[in-house]
Amino acid sequence: MIEIKDLHKSYKMGSNSLHVLKGINFKVEEGELVAIMGSSGSGKSTLLNILGMLDGADSGEYTLDGVPIKNLSETKAAQYRNKFLGFIFQSFNLINYKSAAENVALPLYYQKVPRKERQEKAMKYLERVGLKPWAGHLPSELSGGQKQRVAIARAMAAEPKVLLADEPTGALDSKTSYEVMDLIQKINDEGNTILVVTHEEDIAHMCKRIVHLKDGVIVEDKKVEQVRAEQYV
Amino acid sequence: MFDRDVWQEIFNTLKTNKLRTFLTGFSVGWAIFILVMLLASVNGMQNGFVGQFNDDATNSIFVRTGTTSKAYGGFEAGRRIQLKNDDLEYIKQTFPKDIEYISARYYANATARYKSETGSYSVQATHPGHQAIEKTLVTSGRYINEADIVNKAKVAVIGRKVAEDLFKKEDPLGKFVEFNGLPFRVIGIFTDDGDDNAERRIYAPVSTYQRIYGNTNEIASIALTYNPNYDLTEALDFSERLEILMKRRHKIAPEDQAGLSVWNYAEAFNDISSFTAVLKGIGIGVGFLILIAGIVGIGNIMVFTIKERTKEIGVRKALGARPSQIVNLVLLESVFITAISGFVGLLFAWMILAAIGPMIQTPAFSNPSVNLSTVITATIILVIAGVLAGLLPAMKAANVKPIVALSDK
Repeated sequence: MIEIKDLHKSYKMGSNSLHVLKGINFKVEEGELVAIMGSSGSGKSTLLNILGMLDGADSGEYTLDGVPIKNLSETKAAQYRNKFLGFIFQSFNLINYKSAAENVALPLYYQKVPRKERQEKAMKYLERVGLKPWAGHLPSELSGGQKQRVAIARAMAAEPKVLLADEPTGALDSKTSYEVMDLIQKINDEGNTILVVTHEEDIAHMCKRIVHLKDGVIVEDKKVEQVRAEQYV
Repeated sequence: MFDRDVWQEIFNTLKTNKLRTFLTGFSVGWAIFILVMLLASVNGMQNGFVGQFNDDATNSIFVRTGTTSKAYGGFEAGRRIQLKNDDLEYIKQTFPKDIEYISARYYANATARYKSETGSYSVQATHPGHQAIEKTLVTSGRYINEADIVNKAKVAVIGRKVAEDLFKKEDPLGKFVEFNGLPFRVIGIFTDDGDDNAERRIYAPVSTYQRIYGNTNEIASIALTYNPNYDLTEALDFSERLEILMKRRHKIAPEDQAGLSVWNYAEAFNDISSFTAVLKGIGIGVGFLILIAGIVGIGNIMVFTIKERTKEIGVRKALGARPSQIVNLVLLESVFITAISGFVGLLFAWMILAAIGPMIQTPAFSNPSVNLSTVITATIILVIAGVLAGLLPAMKAANVKPIVALSDK
């Protein structure tokens, strides 16, 4: 599903250049649930941004579902993001003046799905995250966990190939974190490929594979026994 | 472009920033208001000027004489030029196709008396054609006719004020009034749109007055109207031919305006037209400059809006919004604010003009108003202004890197 070869990325910081990713080789098969771990500054967020086509790599190859991702125009990148990827952010990034249902329907809007169908789909995904009764509420009327569940519904609404979650539990307490992870696990059970960036060990162990990043290189890549979040909920 | 989501977003941003939206909208509305008022004022001035001249037929030409200022053709300067009846006949015969109406003018003063009422008035002795040239409105009775000229009839057409002064409540028609002791029968009463003074005038047949004043054939000036189908160039050409001919006939230097002058209404009218055109240009120019300030204001608010919404734009891009869709959103919002506030300004200006415009009726300024084409032009300008104001901020928004926007916490 995802294949990257010898990926390099550096940022210019004034006159200095900060080499963040120093040759990453990495493959994700369909249906995997991968945790990307590392301390801050290890390059895990940069990697996720490049995977999410939010940022470009300096060198190396990136293939997503057999499509080489290289030198994309803004418009093309937007199309690919919409088609291939669903994003889940640490700070939820819901649009605050749109109701839960409208937020979920937004990626579908950019896919030019007709309004009615959009609403139906949004309701379907809200139901899956257990928030159907909150469909008409604004994000400000929802709790943190609920917001993240709306964000997950939004990420899934466009039926992407890969879900990218950047510290999805970073802003939540542990009980809510487990609820969110439980949801992510269930989505993964249905065969969706998910990448989770986290720095929390317990969250990482709820995935099926952990990739450790340190100073811009992968230092460890292991399959783990998945800890089900259900038992903590 | 016009789907509900886009409008929802526009309304939301406007709603959350009511004061800011109002203030910027106000600048554009104000600019349009001033622009429309300026144009209306120029229009009012134009109406005023035209109204001043409308007193006379707009295709009239006056031939006047004086004393020559230059020696010419063997004559010394300072010679008095006197028009005579045969000058009139000569013009009539030379330019049969060019002339619509023609009349001589002979000026006199008369002390008029009816019963115990007396008054001093100016008398203009004319031909029947003079009615059309001066646009004299005869409200009752009739104007001088050819028979009066032939018979040298002692008849008079008196102004409304004269009738009021002398006859009070009586009907003057058919009554005899004495001018300097000679009885004249009142055959008509006229009014004049131009001014009250014109209504203190008396018209009489030119032949009658020429006989009273020593059986002369002299006339003071000649008034005529040219063929109404003529355009400005044809009209000017005709008056030039007329002037050359008359100067040759009276042996006056061609450039000597003191000896004989031909005053063409079209020429003066043309001058006024170009004058008001310049005024209009200035009005539009000033209006536009003010509008530019308004546009900058809108541009400013859009830059702020985008700054505030950077993160949201980043999220949208992450969710698959194309740059063109972001540009669209910003432009539409900008056009929307500009158009709405501009329309409010337009509406205000229009309402004020509709309310007080018709009441303003001074000689130099009357009925300021704007026509449909001005309104349509203003609307087009507004939309363009909105696009211009939104363009730079929109480009900026479209170029927001989602990664930067998302880390903007």
